[in-house]
Amino acid sequence: MPGRTRPIEKFAEATAKCSPEGAVYGKCIAANYQNAKKDLCAKEFMALKDCYLKAAGRKS
Amino acid sequence: MRSLLLKAPARPWTWKHNGRAACLARSYAVQAPGAPTVEVFDARTKLLHKERAAANTTQSRQVDYLRDEVAVRLCDRILDINRPFPRILDYGANACNIARRLTRPDPDPDSAKPFKEPISKKIGSITCADTSPTLLYRDQDEAWNKEINIQREVLRNPEYLPYEAETFDAVLSSMSLHWINDLPSVLMQINNCLKPDAPFVAAMSGGDSLYELRGSLQLAEQERLGGIGTHTSPLADVRDVGNLLNRAGFKLLTVDVDDIIVDYPNTLALMSDLQAMGESNAALRREPGGISKDVLLSTEAIYRELYGEQQEDGSITIPATFRIIYMIGWKEGEGQQKPLERGSGDVNLKDLFDSDTGSKGN
Repeated sequence: MPGRTRPIEKFAEATAKCSPEGAVYGKCIAANYQNAKKDLCAKEFMALKDCYLKAAGRKS
Repeated sequence: MRSLLLKAPARPWTWKHNGRAACLARSYAVQAPGAPTVEVFDARTKLLHKERAAANTTQSRQVDYLRDEVAVRLCDRILDINRPFPRILDYGANACNIARRLTRPDPDPDSAKPFKEPISKKIGSITCADTSPTLLYRDQDEAWNKEINIQREVLRNPEYLPYEAETFDAVLSSMSLHWINDLPSVLMQINNCLKPDAPFVAAMSGGDSLYELRGSLQLAEQERLGGIGTHTSPLADVRDVGNLLNRAGFKLLTVDVDDIIVDYPNTLALMSDLQAMGESNAALRREPGGISKDVLLSTEAIYRELYGEQQEDGSITIPATFRIIYMIGWKEGEGQQKPLERGSGDVNLKDLFDSDTGSKGN
């Protein structure tokens, strides 16, 4: 299917633009990986997600 | 009514005093043959995965790198067995990757005794069996098909081998045993359809395969959703494989492990390659609906942070480990070498090692 980008490729492209935010989030998890629980790094994740949404060209 | 109820529990007591009656009662005890099989994988889903993956021929060929590499390494092991094979079976053939590698010219360039001809010259005919017709027939028009006597056979049931006893001179299998639910039964069937003193040579993914992905997904789900789901298959361990082969009646076992590490640009490339191989998760108790975007986003960041490796050009790639277990087992046959009895050795191993280091010093 030429010309068609799979959603996963778009997703990969957008996440690649957010590597600094991803690194911050990753470091937060890596520091506490033996004690992972829900919303452990919620703040860092929201920053990453905001960046992703912006990169993916969505509103909000 | 009441008296009957009271009487019933009293009966075993009377039997206990009467040895003969107890014996008779016991002889009626029935146990289903073998242990009950546990269904882990969904065979139908697996078939759909393979069919869908193979329908996209170009992409399916692109991601053959892993199966091809394993097939090459498996062929090296076949090369060590110095005998002709009039009839062999490739069970779980995928796209007949083994057959293709068997036709490779000059398969053994580095050995002291080079073997120039392709291994296919030693093979009378090969039967490639798999459940997915699209994947099986994907490469049937390629040139190598003419260099080997190959039959393709679509299996109705992935766990049933429709062959008579003592049919094959060797059974091969590469990268498909890890989707079998009832491995003991399949190994027994393989043993059954082998001729006496014939080898079974197989490679399967096992142990800690994809531990990086597994770990990252678990951390991501734990942090985002507060719990973990099944996204990668449970796999057999090296120790299990030895036991399984033994149980199926194979002799002279050889089991070894090989790690193949592949670098990917990101987790999504790894996941879509796995999907294109037809190796998506098919555990019965998987979550419906796949992984949410939040978790994917989180997995990508965690994987990169925990396992990412800086390359020379500054980009970060993520390694994925495929742990491949190779196994060779022989069906029992006359004149076959047997292990000596315990305690019958008359040479001290220590002396052997001493003389070895001594000769190296000279």
